[in-house]
Amino acid sequence: MDTVTIKNLTKKFKEITAIDDLSLKIEKGKVTGLIGSDGSGKTTLIRLIIGLLLPDHGEISVLGLNPETQKDDLNKRIGYMPQKFGLYEDLTVIENLRLYADLKNVPYDFERLLEFTDLKKFQSRLTGALSGGMKQKLGLACVLLGSPEFLLLDEPSVGVDPISRRDLMQMVRDLISPETTVLWSTAYLDEAHSFDTAIVMNQGKVIYHGKPYDLAKTTEEFENKVIDLMGGYRKTSSQIAENYVPKNSDIEYTVVADNLEKVYGDFYAVKNNSFEIKKGEIFGLLGPNGAGKSTSFKMMCGLLKPTGGTARIMGIDITEDPEKARSNLGYMAQKFSLYESLTVKQNLDFFAEIYGIHNIDLKERVDEIIDIFGFSQIKNQKSRDLPLGFKQKLSLACALIHNPPILFLDEPTSGVDAITRREFWNHITSLAQKGVTVLVTTHFMDEAEYCNRISLFYKGETVAIGTPSALKERIHAKNMEEAFMKLILESKK
Amino acid sequence: MKILRALVKKEILQIIRDPSSIIIAFVLPLISILIYMYGINLDFVTVNIGVKNDDNSPDITQLVNSFDHSKYINSEVSDNMSDLTQKLIRSKIKGIVIIPNDFSTNLEQRQSADLMVIADGAEVNTATHLQNYVLQISNQWLATSRYAQQVSPQIVNPQIRTWYNQDSNGYYFILPGSIAITMTLIGILLTALVVAREWERGTMESILSSNVTRMHIVLGKYIPYFILGMFSMIFNLVLCIGVFQVPFHGSYLVLILVSALFLFTSMGIGLLISTILKNQFFASQVSIGIGFLPALLLSGLVFPISSMPEILQYITRILPPRYFITFIESEFMAGTVPSIAIKSSIFLLILGIILFVAVYKNTDMRLTHD
Amino acid sequence: MIEKLKKILALIKKEFIITWMDPKSRGIIVVLPIVQLILFSYAITMEVKNIDVVVVDQDNSFESRELISQFDFSPQFRNIYRVKNMKQMQDKLDNKDANMGLYINNDFSTNITSRIPTDVLIITDGRQTNSAAIVAGYVSQIIADYNQKIAPEKGAKINVITRNWYNPNLEYRWFILTVIVAMLSSVITLILTALSIAREREMGTFDQLIVSPLSSIDILAGKTVPPLVIAMALTCVMTLVVKNFFGMPFEGSIILFLISMLISLLSLVGVGLYISSICRTQQQAILGVITFIMPAVLLSGFISPIEDMPVFLQYLTLLNPVRFFMVLTRGIFLKGMAFADVFMNMIPLIITATITLSFACWSFKKRQN
Repeated sequence: MDTVTIKNLTKKFKEITAIDDLSLKIEKGKVTGLIGSDGSGKTTLIRLIIGLLLPDHGEISVLGLNPETQKDDLNKRIGYMPQKFGLYEDLTVIENLRLYADLKNVPYDFERLLEFTDLKKFQSRLTGALSGGMKQKLGLACVLLGSPEFLLLDEPSVGVDPISRRDLMQMVRDLISPETTVLWSTAYLDEAHSFDTAIVMNQGKVIYHGKPYDLAKTTEEFENKVIDLMGGYRKTSSQIAENYVPKNSDIEYTVVADNLEKVYGDFYAVKNNSFEIKKGEIFGLLGPNGAGKSTSFKMMCGLLKPTGGTARIMGIDITEDPEKARSNLGYMAQKFSLYESLTVKQNLDFFAEIYGIHNIDLKERVDEIIDIFGFSQIKNQKSRDLPLGFKQKLSLACALIHNPPILFLDEPTSGVDAITRREFWNHITSLAQKGVTVLVTTHFMDEAEYCNRISLFYKGETVAIGTPSALKERIHAKNMEEAFMKLILESKK
Repeated sequence: MKILRALVKKEILQIIRDPSSIIIAFVLPLISILIYMYGINLDFVTVNIGVKNDDNSPDITQLVNSFDHSKYINSEVSDNMSDLTQKLIRSKIKGIVIIPNDFSTNLEQRQSADLMVIADGAEVNTATHLQNYVLQISNQWLATSRYAQQVSPQIVNPQIRTWYNQDSNGYYFILPGSIAITMTLIGILLTALVVAREWERGTMESILSSNVTRMHIVLGKYIPYFILGMFSMIFNLVLCIGVFQVPFHGSYLVLILVSALFLFTSMGIGLLISTILKNQFFASQVSIGIGFLPALLLSGLVFPISSMPEILQYITRILPPRYFITFIESEFMAGTVPSIAIKSSIFLLILGIILFVAVYKNTDMRLTHD
Repeated sequence: MIEKLKKILALIKKEFIITWMDPKSRGIIVVLPIVQLILFSYAITMEVKNIDVVVVDQDNSFESRELISQFDFSPQFRNIYRVKNMKQMQDKLDNKDANMGLYINNDFSTNITSRIPTDVLIITDGRQTNSAAIVAGYVSQIIADYNQKIAPEKGAKINVITRNWYNPNLEYRWFILTVIVAMLSSVITLILTALSIAREREMGTFDQLIVSPLSSIDILAGKTVPPLVIAMALTCVMTLVVKNFFGMPFEGSIILFLISMLISLLSLVGVGLYISSICRTQQQAILGVITFIMPAVLLSGFISPIEDMPVFLQYLTLLNPVRFFMVLTRGIFLKGMAFADVFMNMIPLIITATITLSFACWSFKKRQN
């Protein structure tokens, strides 16, 4: 018995074909992973399955129902967690749970869910004030209410730290019945590898459907196989780095945080945070959601005023001469924050110009960036309509456009597919070799290996600092993920 | 029912979390009533004028004085015409009264004597008022002056009575009428962003994939803001009747019922804007663009609808405040006039239902790409 | 310096693309005000026309019918309803089927023939006191004319001759057009500016600007110029419509007019940016706009003159850019106001603009906590 049967499904948005003559069966009682490159049509497929979008051609049957005509009946039997997870940020945790319980007509029985999500003590906190990981857990809890027969989760683990990610997975496994079907879209291939079935999509088509274990025995191998399926990644030298013109400066420590501190009332969001980053170094800030990474980040670039300590960029105090300090900076925010109503090219033009690139240089530089990042197809699309992965790509492009000697990247690879992630890191490491200083946060522990040094952050404080290998050695871990978990666990005690 | 209750509860919680909408529901009426009470005066205006008297007869000095004694006019006497003209250009005075040198002679000889008024035509209202004031004041003076016996008596004398408002107190109609303007704005502004917000924040996507029907979504927006709006409406009425002592001759029950109907209609406009545009930025622009000025200028509160060209009179029929102003003025001053109350209610109901259906039809249950 | 200007230019270009490229946005900025300009200028008048009269004629004589026919001939009056008694008259007035009542006693003609002064009862509807007063004025005039007709005796009489400068026929439309242009430009300017920063804050793009090497002044310039240019263009278009479509005379100097519009709009942009800078969300910004624009329009002097307001409110209106904007448009358009007077009216606008813009600029820096 299949939960979903799709025959010859096609969906177009104007000239772009999002789903291209796709046929698919999703087996009942299995956890199916949905993976694929950015813009391959994952979100569109999920929306079509639950009837939020209507197909142009083809048939869909979900739990024996037609989502086009029987959406109301279908809604009662499914649980859907959209990418923006649909929580009301101005409602408290418990209010959100009660709302979704009422909408699904189930009793207020949240004990077990609150237990699992660890949200019990935050019940009356506003959802907007939760950290990213906690929001995801709450979103999942709301979806799990009423034990739906079919769960559809659209990238529930984007921007979630490894510990919370493991919790999310555990939650789903423990809280569903054996008959429940799960369709789980993800960019984390280690996650996908642990599922019963994997569907790999590319350009609106299914290119692999089967047991992940059949494709590859180990996670690393699985990642390589999937990348091969999606067209493969060939490491070429980074054009960005090649064209980079180093700026002469004899400053050794280009980014310095000296006892940074941010207090809200009596709550220390960040406490005596100090580090010095050498020119050409990649410095990783790691830590669970809500540890204070973004707060530190914002203080470093002058978006937040520290309550104590100083941040210096190229030797310039960010609070004293912010304009001059920032002209050395390329910044990529965690949340997509480019102009959604501008096209890709207009965004690039704009950011180039405000960083002082004009006239012929501007045209050259923007064309070059469009070429390197492969934007030529989408350069006239509004950035609002881009898939998440492309938005991240565009953000990185905007941060790099003025050849800054320092890069601040806050979770640059969240929601980005495996190939693009490798491209990103290729650029980052090559730039670092040319002398660019990089401060980066990430939740992908394999990426942490690219960093020269890592500072592990927990509850506003640095709990460990050192090279990746030194950290692994210290706690006797075989990889970064394990090191991360152990170190956090250790500092919890 | 349970689903609807949950949606309403959610919306109420959101209102409480961002109190800006609560503030607006009570602050706007307060500001508006104070302005209409103290800042707007449609009945008479005080006009500053200059008087140039070329007639040396002593009787005429009395006329000059009576201009100054009138409560409608502040006058200054001057012989320097160019000085007065300068003041007129600078809007320091709004008119010049010139008494010609043969004025008293003409009156003496039982003839009509010309009195010259130069008014600032750029301000049409004031100019019209000024002309009437000068006519009234000079005739009053004439009736009591020694030229009175030279005047032939009027045979037909109009006795003018103002019904419903013996003292002709303008506030008695402006204050209740202003409620219509304020409540149109509040009805639109409270609701114009609330659907768009859910689309922008992505919460609509989860709502649409739960057990919610279209009717739930629509009612889930109407009900909570209707409740808030009614509180605001009652606050308006309390200010008007309780604090500013506007006499009320109608029935409170009828007043509340028609007010509720009116609120339902103006909320429909806001929700329709929000539902169609799905974008807070445009929804706010449109709601201010169409919510404020048309309600103020075309609803008949300040400018009479019956004087408009016929086509435009038809256009005003789509404006809910128009019906409400007619109703509320009458309800306050004349008591419940069944035909007016019923007619207004029927029109408001029809408009309200049309808007409700339009909101319902335009509420998307699926995602659309534009 | 040139470098800096280029950056500001980039900001300006971006704002233009955002506000201009979207057809919805263009509709709001261009179509809405032009439609409203035409609609309002035809609709708005203080005159009272199409007055319906309900008559009880107890006399039913030649003389009474003669008097009634005077109303029929007058252009302001429309329908004459004859009813039998006071009760029916009251019904008609209650229901607003008629705007005024005329009651003629049964001794009307006898009195006139015997030259005995006689009263007629005029009832006006106090539910709209301003219309009631105007109607009463018309009636008095009609009856005075009637008196003149039945007894054309000579006697001492004051004849008021009015010359209306700047607007000889007292065209209400000339007055209202200048008001509407100022009002619509003000509303559009505020709409354009008040949401711009609040929206960028909500979207997160404002952080991106702050992190760039732009100074607060640069950002302020980037936010001020585009709405200013758009509002200027719109005001010019509306002025052309007023001048050519409505055929209204333009007495003043074009250059003075442009300068005073620029200053007026600048102060409104300042107010808009100020509102935007203190609001966290678009919802708050829009409520802020309405809390400003409603009093600003009502207290601008067009409905009720400023000199008539309580002293406290008169001082308050010094802060109201819409007031001076209207004075300037009307003054230059109709009266050909000279430089010195224009300048005097600009001072409050310049002060408002300086205060609001500096505050907005300061708030960009401050917003770091």
